[in-house]
Amino acid sequence: MLIKKAGRRGSSVSWSRRLVPYLFVAPNLAIFLTFIIWPAIRGFWISFFDSNDGVHFKYVGNANFKEILHDPTISQVARNTITYVFFYVVLAITISIALALVVNEQKFAKGFFRAILFMPVMLSPVVVGLIWSDIVDRKHGPLNAAIKFLGGGAPGWLVDTNLGMVTVVFVGLWVHVGFYSIILLAGLQGIDRSVLEAASIDGASRMQTIRQIILPLLKPTTLVIIILATIHGFQSFDFIYTLTGGGPLGATTLIVQYIYERAFGVPIRYGLGSAAGVILFLVIFAFTALNFIAGRRRNAV
Amino acid sequence: MKLLRIFDANSKNNWTSASGRRTPETATILRTALLIGMTFVVLAPVIWFTLSSFKGLAELGGRPHLLPQSFSLDNYSQALKMYNYKQYFFNSVFVTTVATILTLIINSMAAYAFAKYNFRGRDGLFVLTLAMIMIPLQVILIPIYLVVAQLGMVNTYWGLIIPAAATPTGVFVIRQYMLTIPDELIESARIDGAGEFRIYARIVLPLARPALAVVAIFSILWRWNDFIWPLLVAQDEKFYTLPVALAQLNGRLAVPTNIIIAMSVMSIIPVLIMFVFMQRQIVQGISQTGMK
Repeated sequence: MLIKKAGRRGSSVSWSRRLVPYLFVAPNLAIFLTFIIWPAIRGFWISFFDSNDGVHFKYVGNANFKEILHDPTISQVARNTITYVFFYVVLAITISIALALVVNEQKFAKGFFRAILFMPVMLSPVVVGLIWSDIVDRKHGPLNAAIKFLGGGAPGWLVDTNLGMVTVVFVGLWVHVGFYSIILLAGLQGIDRSVLEAASIDGASRMQTIRQIILPLLKPTTLVIIILATIHGFQSFDFIYTLTGGGPLGATTLIVQYIYERAFGVPIRYGLGSAAGVILFLVIFAFTALNFIAGRRRNAV
Repeated sequence: MKLLRIFDANSKNNWTSASGRRTPETATILRTALLIGMTFVVLAPVIWFTLSSFKGLAELGGRPHLLPQSFSLDNYSQALKMYNYKQYFFNSVFVTTVATILTLIINSMAAYAFAKYNFRGRDGLFVLTLAMIMIPLQVILIPIYLVVAQLGMVNTYWGLIIPAAATPTGVFVIRQYMLTIPDELIESARIDGAGEFRIYARIVLPLARPALAVVAIFSILWRWNDFIWPLLVAQDEKFYTLPVALAQLNGRLAVPTNIIIAMSVMSIIPVLIMFVFMQRQIVQGISQTGMK
């Protein structure tokens, strides 16, 4: 410990002191290695095997991947996931930008509305699923009671396959849109005042200012939201589990639930589930990279 | 706030404008109406659900009324008596508390090394840490379960706590904050003969308190609400956290809805208290890091 001032590098630093930063990093890194990196490698490896007990593994080559491409159950899961992610991302971006713009301009009770905006973020998705299954219940739910009061029928929000998907997308939006809006609001605060002043001096209307100045300047934040929404979309599972359980007739079973069921449902197929995980990773990675590249190119022009 | 003032200035100074932009009042009314609509969509389901928790099973199975016809706390007392609610609540509290403390310790240690030391492989390890964001749990669900099973951590508190304790966002947030702590402070402590761990624990950690608070809030929220991880690890009912218990009981036909609703409402109370008192930090955390 006889280190004189500025003795930061070189031979003046003792061997034990050079070890210190590694010791600081070690616990965190050990967990990453054991519970993320090693499982990721193992998952890739297992995807070429077949196992129903996690102990005995039989090498099957790329049979799992072939099965995923041809099996009708999985193609339904894939269709559901793509449908869900598409509508979820498009609507999430549109609504969260609109809400952010509106809240940002609000003078009266702005803080209150902003708080309301992100309240759903705080709730457990499991509970959110339970709340909405109560609200949209066909016979006993308040939503259908209101529709009936207005002279409509009794739509089977959780019974009809198409409406099931609509409900799931809506609840997904309900959970996340406020979260995206908060990030966009921060982006809006970051826009240089002088640019907006210049626009107002030039006589730009409010719509023109939004379309031609605010939205382009908000693009980096929007890109972050698109990437986050895409990832969240592909990962959706928890609130759907208590809302529809993946039904009716598997109409809202998305990929993560499918993977989960290959480990804990019937039939247990660890290899097949892992292969689905590998594909999910590649898809998320590809979408993220694509968004990123597209965002860069647009910025460059 | 900044934008508001501009639009304000805008409407006052627009002597060059030709079209009738004398309609800020209409715009304000429309905007406020829209936001009230949003408030309704967000709050109404939660309020309805909370009111439902005071309704009896017979009433829940009948025509829906907003207010409970016979206000009673039976659902709550039944929920507390049956189905080990206290055990689930304890598990949630225990896992959330210990996991958050552990996360704060190991994340801040790693963050300190990344922020204040020069060592071989530092940048590589930092990038590796951030790269962990790219591999979400959902993607490695099966292999991670197999690893945890092999280590004998299924149905243990350690299994619930440790594997998710190292977070890339936590390291990142704390590191960014620690970069602003002056090096001279650390150097002078060293000259005074303080050991490396002492410097971290006694000087750097107290100074990094704001960043630690943000990470703590998000860790608490995330652990309290987390579903998929405890669903994998807690196979035995004794280790269910609240979200797992709610989902599993909901899946059983024998468990009445009124009990599930009462349990759900009780499980969101702590979170709503945090929502009321920690809004500013949460908004700040979300907008700075995009974490959740």
